[in-house]
Amino acid sequence: MKLADRYNRVNIITAIIILLITGVIYYVVIHFIFTEKLDRDLAVEENEIKQYVSTYRKLPLPASFLDQQVQYKQLDKNANGSRFFRNTTFFNAKENEAEPGRSLVTTILQGDKLYEVTITKSRLEADDLVRIILLITLGVTCLLLASLILINRFFLNRLWQPFYFILQQMKAFNLIKMSEIELNATKVDEFQELNIAAVQMASSVRQDYKELRSFTDNASHEMMTPLAVINSKLDSLLQAGPISEQQGLLLNDIYIAINRLTKLNQSLLLLTKIENKLISDLQRVDISELVDEKCRQFQEIFNESNLKVNVDLQSCEVEMSRYLAEILLNNLLANAIKYNRTNGFITINLRAGILEIINPGKEFALTEQHFDRFFKSAASEGMGLGLAIIKQICALYNFSVSYSFLEGNHCFTIVFKN
Amino acid sequence: MKILIVEDELPLLESILSYFSEVGNICETASTYSSAYEKINLYDYDCILLDLGLPDGEGLNVLKELKKLKKNDGVLIISARHSLDDKLAGLDLGADDYLVKPFHLSELKARVSAIVRRKKFDGSNVITFNEITVDLSNMETSVNGNLLTLTKKEYDLLIYFLSNKGKVVTKSAIAEHLWGDDIDISDDFDFIYTHIKNLRKKFIEAGANDYLQSVYGIGYKFATV
Repeated sequence: MKLADRYNRVNIITAIIILLITGVIYYVVIHFIFTEKLDRDLAVEENEIKQYVSTYRKLPLPASFLDQQVQYKQLDKNANGSRFFRNTTFFNAKENEAEPGRSLVTTILQGDKLYEVTITKSRLEADDLVRIILLITLGVTCLLLASLILINRFFLNRLWQPFYFILQQMKAFNLIKMSEIELNATKVDEFQELNIAAVQMASSVRQDYKELRSFTDNASHEMMTPLAVINSKLDSLLQAGPISEQQGLLLNDIYIAINRLTKLNQSLLLLTKIENKLISDLQRVDISELVDEKCRQFQEIFNESNLKVNVDLQSCEVEMSRYLAEILLNNLLANAIKYNRTNGFITINLRAGILEIINPGKEFALTEQHFDRFFKSAASEGMGLGLAIIKQICALYNFSVSYSFLEGNHCFTIVFKN
Repeated sequence: MKILIVEDELPLLESILSYFSEVGNICETASTYSSAYEKINLYDYDCILLDLGLPDGEGLNVLKELKKLKKNDGVLIISARHSLDDKLAGLDLGADDYLVKPFHLSELKARVSAIVRRKKFDGSNVITFNEITVDLSNMETSVNGNLLTLTKKEYDLLIYFLSNKGKVVTKSAIAEHLWGDDIDISDDFDFIYTHIKNLRKKFIEAGANDYLQSVYGIGYKFATV
C-alpha cells in the first residue's frame, strides 16, 4: 500500500468519524434547544391562560391558531392535578394533516371547578431545521472526502515526484559499474536531505567497495608471495644433489602441504571474489561443450579410478563467467571422482538446462551442512570448500542447486535458468 | 638464451636465477622498476620474467616502455594476482604469457623455453637431445631418424622434460602442466605414472637410451646418466 493511500485512508476514516460525532452532537443539542424553547412558549401560554382566568373568572375560549391549540377538560374535583410536557401529534387544520407536536398538560382551578388544560404546539419547524442541519453536515462530509481524494490523486503524486526519482536512481545503482546517482532539484527539505544522504551513501559504498577490492588483491599478493618463495626453494633443494629415499618422502609431504595451502588460499579468495561480485566477465557459455572438454581433461583420472562415465548432453547456453563455469564443473566432477566407489560410475545428464551428476558413494546422504564452509565428513580428505564454492557460484547467477540421495547414489542437480 | 628476471622478492629471485643458470644461458636481474627500466633500454633479451608488483612502479609500465622502444623481447608476467583484468591487460600490452604465483620452477622454465623458441623461430624449430629429435613445427619426434608415434600427452610430457633436462621435476608440477592447475583430485598424482611408463617404453623400443629417472616418490628427472 502506498504511503499516500495509507495516509489518506487514516484521514478519511478520522474525518468520517469526527463528522458523524459532530452530526450527532448537533442533532441532540439543537433538538434539546428547540424543545426547551417550545416548552418555554407553552409555559408562557399557560401563564396567559392563568392570568385570564384570574382576571375574568372564566376560561378563555378553546382557541385553535395556526400553530397552537388549547383544549379544556373538566376533571373530578378530587383528582390530582399534575403538570407535565409530552410529545404528541398536532393536527394542522389548514394543511389537513397530522404533524409532530409538543403539549403542556396542566390543571387550572376556575371557581370550584378543576380543568385540565392541554396546550399543543407544532414541532414541524423545529424538526425541519434539524433535518437541514443534518443534511448540511452530510454534504460537508462528502465534499471533504472528495477533496481529500482529489488532493491525493493530483497534488500528492506531484509532491512525491522527487522521492520516486531518487528511488529509481537508487534501484538502478550498480556497484560493479560504479554508476553515479543523479539528482533532481527539489525545494522540499525532506527530499533535499534524502538526496544528500543517498549521494553520500553511494559514495561511501563505492569507497568501501574499492577498499575491499584492494584488500582482496593485497591479501592474495601477500600470501602468495611467501608461498611462491617456499615452492621455489623446495624446487631448488631438489636440484641441489642426490637425495635419499627418506628425504624424498619428507620433501613430498612438504610439497603436498604447500599445494593444499595454495589451493586453500585460492579457494578463499575465490569465495570472497564471488561474494563481492568481483568477477564480471559475463559471456555466453555452452555448458555441454564445457562438460565435454572437462571429461576429456579428466579422462586419465576416470581410467585410473576405473570409473565408467555415461554422458548425455543437450546444448545449453548460459550467460555467466567462463572462469566460474569451469570451476563449477571442476568441483562437481572432482567430488564425483573423489567420493565414488571402486569400479563405480559417473552419469552426467544435461537436458533442458538441467545438469545432473550422479555417482554411487558411501552409504550416507549429505546434509545441508556439507554446503557450509570448512564442513567435511570424517572420510573427506578435501578442505571443505568445494561445495561452498558450488553453492556460491549458483547463488551468484540464481541457479538452483539441489542434492538428493537415491538408492546409494549421490545426485547433484543444477538448474541453469537465465 | 639471455634472460632478465624482474622480481622484488629476493629469495624468489635467487631461486629463479639458480634454476636458470646453466651453460648457454645469461641471466640478469632487476629488483626495482628503475633498474629494470635501465636494463631494457640498454640491452636486448630473449625473454623478460616480469613481476607486476614492484616497489617503485607498476610492472605493466615495463611492457609499455618495451613497446615504445619497439623491442621484440619475449615477456612472461609472473604475478601474485589471480586477476583476469590484470592478465588481459598484460596480454594486451604484448606479454607472451602469464604465470600466477606460486608456481613450479620447472613450469616457469618450460614456459620461458616455449617463448624463446617462438621468438627465435627461423625455419628450423627443432630440439635435439642426443639421439632424440623433436620437430616442433609439425610435432614430430624421432629417435636416430626413425619417427615415433606419441600421444598428445606424451608429446607435451617430452617437451616439458626437454625444457627441464637435468632437473628433478615433481609429479605435481607435471600434473599441473598436463591437466591445468584446477586439477584437485588427489594428492599423489599416480595417474601420471601411466604416461611416464608409456613414454619410456616407446623410447626404449625405438632404441634410445633410458633418460627418465624416477626420484624417490617425488618426481622424475630427464638426464643422461
